[in-house]
Amino acid sequence: MPYLGGEETLRELRRALSNPHVQADPARYRGAVLRVIRLMAQGADVSGLFPEMVKAGAVPDVVQKKLVSFYVRAQAPLQPQLALLAVNSLRKDCAHPSPAVRGLALRTMCGLRMPGIQEYLQQPLVSGLRDKASYVRRAAVLGCAKMVKMQGDCEVDGALVNELYSLLRDQDPIVVVNCLRALEEILKKEGGVVINKPIAHHLLNRMPDLDQWGQSEVLTFLLRYKPRSEDELFDILNLLDSYLKSSSPSVVMAATKLFLVLAREYPDVQADVLVRVKGPLLSACTSESRELCFTALCHVRQILRSLPGHFSSHYKKFFCSYSEPHYIKCQKMEVLCELVNDENVQQVLEELKGYCTDVSVELAQGAIFAIANIARTYTEQCVGILTELLGLQQEHITSAVVRAFRDLAWLCPQCTDAVCQALPGCEDTIQDSEGKQALVWLLGTHGEKIPNAPYVLEDFVENVRSESFPAVKMELLTALLRLFLARPAECQDTLGRLLYFCIEEEQDMAVRDRGLFYYRLLQAGVEEVRRVLCSPKCDPSLGLLGDQSKQPVNAWALEFNTLATVYGRERWALATAQQPVEPSYSCSPAAGSRSRDSESLVSEGDKEVLEVHPDAPVSEEKELLEAHPDAGSLSLIPDVSLSAEQFERSWLSLNTSCQLCLPWAGPVHADTIQTALRVVHIHTIAMSRAGAQPWKAYLSAQDDSGCLFLTELLLQAAGSELQVAVKQSEAKPEALQSFISALRTVLEAVAGLES
Amino acid sequence: MIGGLFIYNHKGEVLISRVYRDDIGRNAVDAFRVNVIHARQQVRSPVTNIARTSFFHVKRSNIWLAAVTKQNVNAAMVFEFLYKMCDVMTAYFGKISEENIKNNFVLIYELLDEILDFGYPQNSETGALKTFITQQGIKSQLQTKEEQSQITSQVTGQIGWRREGIKYRRNELFLDVLESVNLLMSPQGQVLSAHVSGRVVMKSYLSGMPECKFGMNDKIVIEKQGKGTADETGKSELGSGKQSIAIDDCTFHQCVRLSKFDSERSISFIPPDGEFELMRYRTTKDIILPFRVIPLVREVGRTKLEVKVVIKSNFKPSLLAQKIEVRIPTPLNTSGVQVICMKGKAKYKASENAIVWKIKRMAGMKESQISAEIELLPTNDKKKWARPPISMNFEVPFAPSGLKVRYLKVFEPKLNYSDHDVIKWVSLQLHSEMSAWPLDAD
Repeated sequence: MPYLGGEETLRELRRALSNPHVQADPARYRGAVLRVIRLMAQGADVSGLFPEMVKAGAVPDVVQKKLVSFYVRAQAPLQPQLALLAVNSLRKDCAHPSPAVRGLALRTMCGLRMPGIQEYLQQPLVSGLRDKASYVRRAAVLGCAKMVKMQGDCEVDGALVNELYSLLRDQDPIVVVNCLRALEEILKKEGGVVINKPIAHHLLNRMPDLDQWGQSEVLTFLLRYKPRSEDELFDILNLLDSYLKSSSPSVVMAATKLFLVLAREYPDVQADVLVRVKGPLLSACTSESRELCFTALCHVRQILRSLPGHFSSHYKKFFCSYSEPHYIKCQKMEVLCELVNDENVQQVLEELKGYCTDVSVELAQGAIFAIANIARTYTEQCVGILTELLGLQQEHITSAVVRAFRDLAWLCPQCTDAVCQALPGCEDTIQDSEGKQALVWLLGTHGEKIPNAPYVLEDFVENVRSESFPAVKMELLTALLRLFLARPAECQDTLGRLLYFCIEEEQDMAVRDRGLFYYRLLQAGVEEVRRVLCSPKCDPSLGLLGDQSKQPVNAWALEFNTLATVYGRERWALATAQQPVEPSYSCSPAAGSRSRDSESLVSEGDKEVLEVHPDAPVSEEKELLEAHPDAGSLSLIPDVSLSAEQFERSWLSLNTSCQLCLPWAGPVHADTIQTALRVVHIHTIAMSRAGAQPWKAYLSAQDDSGCLFLTELLLQAAGSELQVAVKQSEAKPEALQSFISALRTVLEAVAGLES
Repeated sequence: MIGGLFIYNHKGEVLISRVYRDDIGRNAVDAFRVNVIHARQQVRSPVTNIARTSFFHVKRSNIWLAAVTKQNVNAAMVFEFLYKMCDVMTAYFGKISEENIKNNFVLIYELLDEILDFGYPQNSETGALKTFITQQGIKSQLQTKEEQSQITSQVTGQIGWRREGIKYRRNELFLDVLESVNLLMSPQGQVLSAHVSGRVVMKSYLSGMPECKFGMNDKIVIEKQGKGTADETGKSELGSGKQSIAIDDCTFHQCVRLSKFDSERSISFIPPDGEFELMRYRTTKDIILPFRVIPLVREVGRTKLEVKVVIKSNFKPSLLAQKIEVRIPTPLNTSGVQVICMKGKAKYKASENAIVWKIKRMAGMKESQISAEIELLPTNDKKKWARPPISMNFEVPFAPSGLKVRYLKVFEPKLNYSDHDVIKWVSLQLHSEMSAWPLDAD
């Protein structure tokens, strides 16, 4: 941390802030306050100025109040006693004649995050909800949500909930939307805010007054409402019709989703809606805002999955232009693949062909695979284009084309002859493992159609010593053996040499084993080899399988306009898998040395990072870390200097704060556990030998406020349960909770790896 | 909802970070830097998922803005919000650059406090925000009183984008039409696809709560009226040529009454104070291409290229195009360029890898050409030069889409100033740009 400010600067600022002459001149007074804020943003410790700053907040100047509010929010958790001073002046501000000041004071108080603030908050919040200025009501409504979140598990006050429900009828549109948001958070456990008929109709009537954010969110909340009758449903749809053409893409998408979900029993209405949003979606796809364009393209792909012909006549809109970023080009190519039909296939292929020679390797290969994708339906044209590309003799292009050919030969047997004719000559340009594997596979499987196949494979065998990829060697073994069955005379000698090399000289075990296996197989006779190796050479049914049949709209209607569409369903499932239960926020007293707000003002570069560090040693460990992002609220210091004797003394003197059992199967790998724990800054003091029974380990960790966590792990007999006992030097339940969850995640992850 | 907002410079240093929700830890700031800004390959996607946290980012020059959330949110909305945030910041301090952000950090925190509360977007209209946010705070008590009353009227008013009680001595209204033509051409010179995307930008300095009406030569309206009265009062014809245009799709500022547009195709609205974008539109039919560009490239050996570009103006001889700028990209391994042009000035700009050719004005149906000899450094790179498109910027006194402004009327029911008292600057200042001409060797 840069040591800015220093004693001298602080003293000078304190003098300035308490100087009556400065205080008399608003401009100078504010200047001094601003300097404090700047120092704080640079990371200097300005906590000593708290009383002066609180006093500076008591001036009529709104700007200065705002500055002081930043300071107070950042510093309050460090000095809970002094923060009470601020609470007093803030409560006074809650009765200020200016609505701007009242709103600010409410927001500041809700952002204080110190223990016991709730009791001071209650009364100002309730009067804030009834304030005559909507600015204050907006702040108060969200303030309620913040307060409830701070309380954690306590019972929710029914009167407050009722008050919020009645505020849904407020005049101000933002207050209405804020009420929905607050209720949603407060009633999370009960399934969120209830949208019944009167509320739904009220919201529908207020829609025109809302801004785009409000409209978009209200449309999402309305998803919960189930209309009672068909008439009501269609009334709602008619009322919301204009939002399908809104200027804001987010409103358009939210409205589309609502339509699709509400009309889930009326497929023709759904189809009609999708036709009507075509225009807005297309213009979002061609807009200059790239990120929006990307989002729109993701949604277009989603729609195409149910209605493959939906955008076919607009295929030119999805041609890439030169300056577009990589991610848009990739999305557009995917879209082009999906909307291809008899009429536009020629043009689309022409366009994709152009991308194949792009300077970006990745894009060029993407385009080649896109053509290969189209080749499943329009085989002849595509194979022609791909063959033409081989003529360019570019390494990455040839490799991608050969890989595409391999997949095609497998899925569409009718094109095998064309593919086989195109292959000769490729072997000189391919350098990468994937490409070589594909080529070798093709030569082995369809070798009887390629005149020079044995000689190409022979070249590979000649150079097998300098071949760096084991996978290519394995492929080569299989291919040569297969070709041997078809053309024994030409291959026998080469096969012999390859087997000899693999068995006698090869270092890689897998390759050697494969070589030995084939050798023994050959000893069993050629018929036996034929029985084992001659599997089918193609499987057209797989192509049909991969060619997803049309999904019904209802299958994705609920995912529309969420991240699932943007990430793609598989990635989203992966990203949300084993989501830990969100810990309810509890006011962490001095556990974190700084509150979130203070961090937010800090803009220094290098910090000690617990979770993701640029040079975190092993990726496996990184995953472990990422598995428990919530450990962030507790920060353990990296080096604890605790000797075994000190540990023993503390261990004996303390009471057990927590005990738990974790399922544990199989043996213990002490090293893995130790490394994994070290990554989260939990240190091993002592550990029994692996395999010892009972197996024991003692761990220690310390957080940045100096609280020690001592842990004993005990495994009675292999295959039973792991007993964990934790002792804590100071009683801090929140910190203990996060420590245990961190420990547990690591241990579970390790157990998962081993089983 | 949005859990936090971070602003980074190009090196990945955090300039601003504001966390709204407790589920976003401080390590999120670093996770984005490590995984996205410092990533070796190109940006994969504007939405990145790192450890179950989604990062939405937008880049403005070399500044990264990232919104972070753990919830399953509406991506379009988050991006729109980031754009809005950029607009608001630009309205306050101009270009978004590292220096400007550092100099205005207090203001930015103030803004972040006001437009997002607990991660939920609040009032974000620049006009309305200007009453809450006080960047230069040197205002005396007297003013604060006035300001306070303004806030009250602002926050209770029904119309979010305009505050009540605005007064101007001169009521003025400016309207600009900005169009850009996007063109895809085949190497043979055939137009594959062309579209015009246009924006109508207004600046309003009007008192009270004026009601404005804007009319253009939209095909549907003209056809409707063709049956009724042929001549309309208060209509100001500008130029001549195509009678009406077919608009593919258009979107409007929040202030425009969409219901009226749907039923009568009339655009009526109460404008926000100051500058705003009234509408965006897109046309694809009957586009007038003001210029034709014919590029010829010849490779003379391995170290030399000859480029000849001819531009032909393709409009009435009585009209004048102005500020024409043609940008011809050159290969990366260019060592020297000799340029000869008949008209205007041309220069090779090594830093931009392009020859920039500027012509002050050019009448219609004329033609001009430039020829250049480009010397190349020999490279052993076998890859062909990916030829970027030639792009062109100019101003012409008509719209390539054929859009015309038919009328612009102002009514103010309370303050009682009539349409005639408003000074209107309905200047069709058309900045157009064309791009994407594939430049191919013969």
